[in-house]
Amino acid sequence: MIDVADVKKSFRSGERTVEALRGVTCHIPKGRFAFIVGPSGSGKSTLLYLLGALDRPTSGRIVVSGTDLTAMSEAEQNHYRRDRIGFIFQAFNLISNLTAVENVLVPYLPRGLTPELERRAVELLTQVGLGGRVDHRPYQLSGGEQQRVAIARALIKDPEVVLADEPTGELDSKAGDEVYRILRRLQAERQTTLVVVTHDRRFINPDDLVLEIQDGLLKTDESEHQRNLIGAEV
Amino acid sequence: MGRFAWRNLLTRPLRTTLALVGLSIPILGVIGLFSLSGGLRNLVGDTLNKIQGVMVMRDNLPSPVFSDLPTNYGERLKAVPGVKVVAPEVWKIAPSVNGTRSFTRTASDLITGGGAKAMKSLLDMPLIQGQDIPTHTNLRSGVYPSSLKEKGEGRYLEPSDAGTNRVVISRKLSKDFLKPDGTPSGVGDKLRIGDKDVKEFEIVGIYDTGSMFLDVVIVMDIGTARKLLGVSEDQVSTFYVEMTDPTANDKVSLAIEKAMPDVDARSMNEFMANFGVIMSKVDIFLLMTVSLALLVGIVGIINTMLMSTTERFVEFGVLRTNGWSQGNVLALVTAESAFLGLMAGAISCVMAYAGVTIINQFIGDGLRLTLPFWLFGLGIGISLVTGTLGGLYPAWRASKLVPMDAIRLGSH
Ligand SMILES: Nc1ncnc2c1ncn2[C@@H]1O[C@H](COP(=O)(O)OP(=O)(O)OP(=O)(O)O)[C@@H](O)[C@H]1O
Ligand SMILES: [Mg+2]
Repeated sequence: MIDVADVKKSFRSGERTVEALRGVTCHIPKGRFAFIVGPSGSGKSTLLYLLGALDRPTSGRIVVSGTDLTAMSEAEQNHYRRDRIGFIFQAFNLISNLTAVENVLVPYLPRGLTPELERRAVELLTQVGLGGRVDHRPYQLSGGEQQRVAIARALIKDPEVVLADEPTGELDSKAGDEVYRILRRLQAERQTTLVVVTHDRRFINPDDLVLEIQDGLLKTDESEHQRNLIGAEV
Repeated sequence: MGRFAWRNLLTRPLRTTLALVGLSIPILGVIGLFSLSGGLRNLVGDTLNKIQGVMVMRDNLPSPVFSDLPTNYGERLKAVPGVKVVAPEVWKIAPSVNGTRSFTRTASDLITGGGAKAMKSLLDMPLIQGQDIPTHTNLRSGVYPSSLKEKGEGRYLEPSDAGTNRVVISRKLSKDFLKPDGTPSGVGDKLRIGDKDVKEFEIVGIYDTGSMFLDVVIVMDIGTARKLLGVSEDQVSTFYVEMTDPTANDKVSLAIEKAMPDVDARSMNEFMANFGVIMSKVDIFLLMTVSLALLVGIVGIINTMLMSTTERFVEFGVLRTNGWSQGNVLALVTAESAFLGLMAGAISCVMAYAGVTIINQFIGDGLRLTLPFWLFGLGIGISLVTGTLGGLYPAWRASKLVPMDAIRLGSH
């Protein structure tokens, strides 16, 4: 499903070059719930964003369902992000000038909306428990509710992969539980592949795939490697 | 997406309003200047189109008031082939009327009223025109008699008025020279004209050409004017000449100037041409003003849009991660500033309409600001172009952002 081969990513900031990723290779099978964990600054977000084609790796290859992200044109990247990937971020996710339902429809605003899309957006909001809040602006919603709108937005395209960067980072544990309940249900019902960056190991289940990054390199211990293999066979 | 852009403007009302004011004012200025130049064009065009003959006066003088020619030039003019009627005229700036000297009035306005008022009273200075009544009666195109018949009252001068103190004045002058009880002078009322030797003149008619340049003339018999102004029998100011064939004005004028090198035969086409040269300079000036306004407007819009896009980088990052292309972001921001431009244009048009209506109430007398339909189009066009151009650079910057960097700005 997702194949990452020797991906390196370095940033130039002034004179210095920061090597955020120094040769990461991994495989995430379809339908798995994968976690990226590691200390702050280890390169977790960088890897996640590269999976979503938000930037290009300095070297290496990333292949998602047979498509090589590194060989994509700018326009293909746009389509990839719009149609195949759902993003959820820690915060600052929603557009403040749009209502909840319009935020869910954001990917389709440039092309124009259809009644079918609007119906689906309301349905998704209802599924995440916000059926009565469709016309509310982000400032009228709590952090947890905002995050659920963002999840609905990630799901409206029925994505192959959902990428989430610390989706519960700014939520209390109850709101965090709610977010993970929705994501788990998504994995169970639609076999969506999920890649989630987190600091909070509470939400990791025993049969999840855990990718541990340190200093821009993947550190896969024996037991996780074991689970990895089992996961690949499922 | 249009609605989204619209809402983005409305959520920052103060900034949007300031940007609108900043763009509306130069656009309003542009509309105002064009309106004024249109008004001037109409004024002069209206006036001169009414005059079909040719004015013969001394070479190189700005106004008939300063011209003097020997009376016997009349015979020489009649000898030029194509000339039909030669009507001698005496022109001077009027001496005191009802005890007010026009020079004094102008000077005092200059001191008390400032430039605009003095300018107006300069244009307002009453002139005396003495006409040779029998020949003037033979003219095809008499501006004063025809306007008197159309909109005036009383009667025009007749040959029997020769040698009498009877005058025809404009409606405007009738309001300038009030009767002792404060009401405008009318037919049958008297004017006292003269500095030392003051004489009474009876108003027999009131004309109204509607033109600022013509409605300043007190018309009387040429003999009466000579006595009043001290012009001797062998001198006139100008000759008003009509041709047998009015379309041959220019040709005959040339023939006149050839026969008599010390005179100018000014056909109205010539006046128009001179005026055209002046107006084309005014137009260049207008064009420069427009460009300057455009520049100021663009800079203002760039500033506004840069501020607004800089603080929304994260938002653009979110849009990009959701599949918006660079072009989509570019279109959004450009649409916002184009909307700004459009609104500024609409506001300017409304204000220009209101302004012109109000100003025209007050100026009256000939000069009217015009507001043709194309001027609205121009105003809206300029502001739309300004808005769009001013938005392009901020939009380009917003769209160039790498989505990953934009997201990072928001999450740390
Ligand atoms: N645009 C950039 N320019 C310079 N350095 C960058 C840039 N983006 C990331 N980095 C550096 O790359 C490294 C990895 O960053 P990244 O955000 O992936 O870490 P992270 O594991 O997500 O950390 P955290 O848990 O704090 O979010 C860091 O040292 C960071 O400073
Ligand atoms: Mg991070």
